[in-house]
Order: sequence, then C-alpha cells, then structure tokens
Amino acid sequence: MLDTLIPLAVDGLASAALIFFVAVGLTLVFSVLRVLNVAHGSFYSIGAYVAASIGLWIAGAGLNPWLSFPALILSAAIVAALFGPLVESCLMRWTYGKSEAIQILVTFGLFLILEDLQRIVFGVSSLAEDTPMQLLGSTRIGGVVYLNYQLLLIALAALVVIGLRVLLTKTRIGRLVTAVVADREMAQSIGINTNRVFILSFSLGVFLAALGGALATPTAGAAPGLGAETMVLAFAVAAIGGLGQIEGAALAAIIVGLARVLAIYFAPSLDAVAPYIVMLVVLLIRPYGLFGQAATRRI
Amino acid sequence: MIKSGWMAALAVSLGALAAPAFAQDKPAALGVGVLTFTSGPAAAYGMPGKNAAELMIDEINAKGGIAGVPLKATYVDEAQGTQGVIAEYRRLADDKTNQVMIAALSSANCLALAPLAEQLQAPTIGWNCDTHQLLLDGKSRYYFRPNGNTIPEFVAYALYLLQQKPDVKRIAIVNPDYAFGHDAALIFKTAMKALKPDVEVVAELFPKLGSANFQTEISKLSASRPDVVFSNLWGADLENFVRQAQPRGLFTSSQVVLALGETVLQRVALPEGVIVGVLGDGWWMSPDAKANPDTKSFVEAYQKRYGEYPVFPSVKMANAIVYMKAGYEAAMKKNGGKWPSRDELAEAMRGSTVKTLTGTTVTRKDNDGLVDQIVGVTTKSADYKFPVIGGMVRYKGDALMPPQGEDAIKWVGTLTPAFLAAQPKPGSYK
Amino acid sequence: MRVALFLIALAALALAPVAAPWLQFVLTLAIAKGFAALGVAVLLRGGLISIGHAMFYAVSAYAIAFLARAGVNEFVLLLLLGTLASAVAGLVVGAFLVRYRAIFFAMLNLAMSMVLYALISKLYGITGGTDGMRVAVPSFFGITLDKPRFDTALYYAGIVLMVGVGYGVQRYLASPLGHALSAVHTNELRLEYLGVPVRVVLLIAYTISAALAGIGGAIAALAIGHILPEFAFWTASGHLVLVAVLGGIGGVAGPFIGSLFLEVLHTVAVGVTDAWNLIIGVALIGVIFFLPSGLYGLIRRRSGEPA
Repeated sequence: MLDTLIPLAVDGLASAALIFFVAVGLTLVFSVLRVLNVAHGSFYSIGAYVAASIGLWIAGAGLNPWLSFPALILSAAIVAALFGPLVESCLMRWTYGKSEAIQILVTFGLFLILEDLQRIVFGVSSLAEDTPMQLLGSTRIGGVVYLNYQLLLIALAALVVIGLRVLLTKTRIGRLVTAVVADREMAQSIGINTNRVFILSFSLGVFLAALGGALATPTAGAAPGLGAETMVLAFAVAAIGGLGQIEGAALAAIIVGLARVLAIYFAPSLDAVAPYIVMLVVLLIRPYGLFGQAATRRI
Repeated sequence: MIKSGWMAALAVSLGALAAPAFAQDKPAALGVGVLTFTSGPAAAYGMPGKNAAELMIDEINAKGGIAGVPLKATYVDEAQGTQGVIAEYRRLADDKTNQVMIAALSSANCLALAPLAEQLQAPTIGWNCDTHQLLLDGKSRYYFRPNGNTIPEFVAYALYLLQQKPDVKRIAIVNPDYAFGHDAALIFKTAMKALKPDVEVVAELFPKLGSANFQTEISKLSASRPDVVFSNLWGADLENFVRQAQPRGLFTSSQVVLALGETVLQRVALPEGVIVGVLGDGWWMSPDAKANPDTKSFVEAYQKRYGEYPVFPSVKMANAIVYMKAGYEAAMKKNGGKWPSRDELAEAMRGSTVKTLTGTTVTRKDNDGLVDQIVGVTTKSADYKFPVIGGMVRYKGDALMPPQGEDAIKWVGTLTPAFLAAQPKPGSYK
Repeated sequence: MRVALFLIALAALALAPVAAPWLQFVLTLAIAKGFAALGVAVLLRGGLISIGHAMFYAVSAYAIAFLARAGVNEFVLLLLLGTLASAVAGLVVGAFLVRYRAIFFAMLNLAMSMVLYALISKLYGITGGTDGMRVAVPSFFGITLDKPRFDTALYYAGIVLMVGVGYGVQRYLASPLGHALSAVHTNELRLEYLGVPVRVVLLIAYTISAALAGIGGAIAALAIGHILPEFAFWTASGHLVLVAVLGGIGGVAGPFIGSLFLEVLHTVAVGVTDAWNLIIGVALIGVIFFLPSGLYGLIRRRSGEPA
C-alpha cells in the first residue's frame, strides 16, 4: 500500500511544484494590479528559453557546471528586469480601472506579440540543457527512481510560499504592497508611491513565472507553444486557489498535481482533463476559489 | 519573399481565370505544394523534411528540372493548425500552376486532406502519412502513400523484439495521444499477442502530443515493472522522454523500443541496446543506401548544407520527391513526351514501381506503397560521435503488409509463431 | 449613405469569389467566425467578457459531425440542429454563469471551454481525439452537390444568413430586452430596483450569443469538412473577442467587418511575413487605445454619422 502511496505523493508534489511558480506569480499580479494577465504564460516560456540559452552557453564555454544552478535564477531575474518595469509602465498602467474586457484584450494582445517575439528570437526548434539534473543524480523512493532535481523543486516551491509570506508581512515593501491591495485610493492618499508598488509587484510576478520556466528546462527543455499551454494551467491553479491568494495557489497546485497523477495512474485517458475538471467543480461550488472572497458590488 | 506573396496572390487569381482545363503545354515552372512542420515542437521532425525537399528540388533544378521544367515549391507550415492547413492546401490546389502536392507530416492533417485531394482532384503524395486509417476504403485516386503505412512499420518492431528477446512477458506502452500513437499501440499489442499469446500489457499511457513532462508517466512505467517499454513518441516529446527516463533508470530496468529513435540519435545521448528503426527502409547508412551513389551524394550535400546528417523524415521526403519525378517521367513516356495533366500524373503513379534512394517502393492499386522495414539496435560507432543502428534486419515490405482490402488489424491478429520463425534474423542485413 | 455603403459591401462580397475563387473559402470562414464574434459582441454589450465562447462554436461543429455520422445528411437540418445544440448548451451553461460578473464570468467561461477542449481531445474513441472528425458533404435543400458546388452554395447561404440573422440581432438589441442588456453594463443595481429580472435578461443574451457562435461553428464545420478540438482552445476564444473588438461592438456589422478584414489580411500577410501574431497583437492594442469603437466606428464616422 505504502509502496503505491509514496510514489503517488512524490509525483503529485513534483508536478505541483512545476506549475506552482507560474501560478503564484499570476495570482500575485492579480491581487495587486487587479488585472488577469493573459500574457503571464509567455513569461514562463521566455524564462525557459533564456535559461536554456544561458545553460548551453555555460556548457559550451566550459565553465564550472555548478554555475548552471545560479544561472537558472539569474535567467529569471534577467527576464523580470527586462519585461517587468517596461510592460507595467508602458502597457498595464493604462488599463487600471478600465473594464475587464479591455484588460484581458490588452494582455491578450501582449500575449500574441510575445509569442511571435520568442519565435523570432529563439527560433522554432526546442532548446534543452540538462546539466543541473545530471549533477544531482537520483534517489530510489518506494521502488521508483526519482531525480533529486525533482525533490529540489518541491523544496524550492515550499521555500517560495514561505518567502512570499514573510516578504508581504515582515518587510516594509511587503506592507506597502498589502496596503495597496487592501485599498488603492487610501494607500495613495497617505502618500504611498503606488506606481512603484505596481512596478515591483508586476516584476516579481514576471520573475516567478520566468523562474518556473527556468526551473523546468533541465528536465523538459523549452519549445514553442509552451506559453499558451502553461497559461491555462496556471490560470486553473490560480482560480482554484482563489485569485490573489498565495497559499491558495500552493494548495491548488498540490490538488491539481495530485489529480493529474491519480489520473495517470488509474485513468490514463483523463490526465489532461483532470486539472480542468477540478477547476470546474471547485468554481461551481466556490466561484471565488478555495481561499477567495466575493468582490463587493459597485453601485 | 516579400514581393512573391503579393505576386503569388495575383498569379493565383489570374491563373485561375486563364488556366485551361487540360494543360498540355509545358508550363514555365512546376508548382509543388509542400506541407510540413516548420515551427512548433514538431519542427524537430518537420524541418529535416523541409531541408531534404529544398535540397532535392535544388539538385533536380540544377540538372534542368523535370523534362526541362524547373520545380517551384511553396512550403506550408502545418503548425498553424489543421484549419489553416486545409485553407492553404485549397488555395494551392485551386491554383492550376501547382500540379502536385506533397502533404503531410501529421496524421491528423493527412486524414483531413485526403478527402480534399479527391474532391479537388489534386495528385497528392503523403510523404509521412503513415496511419493505416488513411486509404482504408481503397477508393483513393489522387492520394498516394509511397512511404508505407503503420501496419508493417509496427509489426516489424514486434518481430524484432521477439527475435531478440523471445521470453518477453510484460509490455508497457507510452505513445502520443492521437491516431499515430493509438494505431501503433493497437498494432504492436495485436502483433505481440498473436506471435506470443502469453504477453501481458501492464501499462498503456497516451500523454498529450507536445507534453514536456513525462515524470509521472515514467514513475508509473517503473512501478509496473515491464520487460519492455514500447514508444512511438517523436520530436521534442521523444527527446524530453529520453532525457527524463534515462537518469531514472528506465533504460536499464527494461528493454526500450523507440520506434522513431533514429530521429533523435544526433540530438540526445541514447544508450546502447535500444531497439530503433526508421519506419521503412530510409536509413541513410544502410547497406543499400551506401551502395547507391545518388544516396551518397544526397547525404554528403545534406550534411554540408545543414551541418547534420539526414534523419529518416529527410529520407522519406527525398523519396517522395524521387517518386514524384518518376511519376512525371512515366506519364510523359505514356503520352509521347507531352506535359501530363494532373489526371495523367495520378494515373502514372498508380501501380508504379519506383527505385528510391534507399530501396524500392511498389504502389498497389489502392495507392498504398510497399516498402521494406529496417530495424536494429543502437550501437556505438567508431566513425560518428552519435550512436548508429547495428544488428540490422531488413524485412520484406510485402510480407508485412495485409492484402489489399483486408481488415488490417484482423490480419495482424492472424500472424503466427511460424510466421515469426520464417522472417530474416537480426544482424542478417549487413 | 449607409444603405448604399451596405449594398456595395454586400455586392463586393457576393462577387469576390468570381474574381478570385480561392477567396471563397477564406471568406466563408470569415463569415463563420463573424457569427461567433457577433455572439461575443452581444455579451460585451452587457459588459460581460467571455474568453470561452469558442466552446459553442465547437459544440455546434461536433454536433454536426456526430449527426452526419448518424446519417443526417441535409444542410438545413444540420445547420438548425447544430445551432440548436449550441443554444441548449448556452442555456445550460448560462444558467450557472449569469450569476457572475467581471473577471469571474470570464474565468468560468474559460474553465468551461477548457473542460470541453480537454474532453474532446482526450476521448479518442468517441471524438477522434486531436485528429478530429470528418464531416461529409450534405445535400443542399435536398439537392446532392459535389464539394466545390456545395462550397459555393454554402458561401451564398452564409451571406444570406449573415444579413438575415444580423437583422434579427439588430432588432433584438433595439428591443427592450436589448436595452436592458446594455443597462446591466451601465448600472445593474438600478435595473434591479426597477424590477427588471437581470439574470433572465442575461440568460437570454447568453443563449442568443451561444446560438450565434453555433451558426458560425456549423458553417465552419461544413466548409472545412473536418473538425478539431482546437476549435475550442482558449486562444480561439481570445481571437473571437479580438475580432469583436477590432470590428467594433457598436453595431451588428462590426464583428463581421472585423472578421472579414482579419481573414483577408491574414491570407495576404501569410505570404509576406510570418510575424502575423505580432502584427495582430500590436493592432489590437492600438485599436483599444486609439479607436475604441473599432473599424465599424471608423466607417460610421467616415460616412458622416456619429460613431
């Protein structure tokens, strides 16, 4: 019994970890900016491409292979620095307070642009660099061999949940963000520089998405079409958890991960459907997600 | 390119008004529509096809084209989705300057285009349309498949596996979730059960086409302790699967069969002893290929131009173009040197026997092609940085093909251990 | 002025395939997508954005494929039943969704459409999975036609439908129900105080919009002759919203103008550049910021009427 349960749990968590990073970024951006960024998945795939490119460069230049670990995080930081402030101040800012239709369309336009930009910059063939995975080796758990890299991802995801919570509650900038989330006008009127908070939060969201992509490359590589696929999955996780809820996203990622794993083990034909069925069931019972609250109606 | 789009659009509209129904005069150029994946994850398989097409067409044109008519190809990217592919196919086929279509790579697109080829009466060569569900009704007049179909392709793997490992019992399958994957699983299972009735399928997984992560699938495969893992994953999916499964010990705990393994030999480090093949006879290092000077020069030119060696999709495409050229030559011979109409070309291809770069393709009356099947195992090579195929066998194309009009899967189910014993042995093709 | 412009546009549409036969297929698809975009536009009137409307396009297309497989072989019947299937699906889905507004409405539509997409792409045995299903050429008002003739008949039937249904939708939008729909957008609470059953108003709008998407799906299925799960993928839904906004939701003609414009432009652009999505993305953002009433608004302004 335990022999089946342990692999199930490990697989479920490993699959949850991969999607968590990008989902929590989406949810964070929504909670601060009040915009559902349809282009969020593109940052994931850009992160994957940049990480694979840098990884290949490190391998090609004959540098110390352990450098490939910090390179993954560096790649995500590069993507965040490149796109975060630019996209927020040139595009997102003009949609605040506008109708959801406009926000969604503007980010959909951004999604289309970013998808083509990736094709132009990185070409159409897939990129992969698996040094980090090779370096860490593997472990046998319950009769199944797992990559230590998968276990590392689970730990990293847990670390991000804790880190974000600490950042939001214990640091000055975190409290500013919380204030803006709670009441944008009030925060502004007491002298908080909301523009700065927006730029920082959006860039952090981009960083998390890109980090998800970067961390996925050692096992899965980067390939065209990744952004669109990731977007809906991240969206499903964020919606299940409740848009804007960090712990909600973590729990939802685990639920979705387990659902997929259970499907693959016991009903293989349903694996791709599982996340969406979970989303539909949760949303029909709790339309604002597991941790979400109903928005107040404006008069 | 920028201008030619507008010009082509103009030419299409003018051509459609002006083109006579029976174009017997030699045209200024022979338009060929080539459909393959040039973007997306499937480009890993589709680009080698396109590369081969460009190379072959350039070489034919350098030698004066077909009977003095140069070839002019229009490439269509299948990654835009079947809807767009159909629209592009129609646009090309409606234009009378395009005489022949070479389409397509994905079985989904082939299945969608086949009825269209009949409706538009456009001779179409399915360069990679392997699904046996195509041409089932035997009524196809314009759709041709010179490169063989899934039945012989996957029966060959069952034969080779049982010749190599006669006491295999537990088999697991991980195939992509579309016609090609499901067909292959059914054929392989049926053949295995017919040839060795006590085999047991312990896992059967169909991950979505384009999946990047196979970790859970690999766990499930490991946990079901199979003797054999069979897969016809391909392209980036296959690369990712190998990359994830190898460090997790799947290749050491089970005999792995990668039906399309040859396509990734130059891209990921496959261990030794994996059963791989080329879904046909298109292995550029096979004894027959090495003995053919045309093939040798094709391989050299390909390597020089693209910086890598061809893979079997390149060879399938090259052979499709050889097949088309042979069709034109035969049609012109028949009508006394006049340029053939679309109908005459189709007529000439039906029932033809064509010598290709890697063997021979015989087109049956139902437009299905008979080609030999080469299977082997990955082996270290002294001459190349990547593993090559060793221990090869070349099964006869007609032996593995169900008779015309017969239910293909039923036919596979009638195979017997005696049939297996009568086949050539691994290592016999050298 | 407007009537003249309208008639000229119709005549151009009717004659286009005579001048350039390859355009016919492209234009048929444009009309099909125009219907679906019109459905999205109806909801946008009520301030509701659906990024899942391609699901109704797909429902009708698959309904037709199943019906055709079961032996229903008449264009009129298929079109009616396909549209009906979408309308019923719209009624059922809508009954759940009209409780929600704003981003949650958009999200639930997306969720529904992705469940449908995932199901039809995974149920290989029933739906053919990602290979999709073939749709045979049906008879046209009882007359058996070959594919090219059927395509031509379908094209002109599409134009007739576009005018007829478009007129119907215009009447609906001008009716009290239509005005109530717009009022949901501007001030829902006041509407409730006036005693207007907001959910009923929205449910009717939702069903109509699903049926419109259904007409589009039916035309597309019959024109292409092959249907696929990608009909229901979320990017397809995104494109429908894009077409609606690009064309302009101010009038019934807007989504059709947007759709025809985009499809023709796409066909031309494919040969010129492969950065099609990039161009569309930039155009979309540009239209939203600088041309809020879309192409339709532009045309109305040019023809001397207030947008």
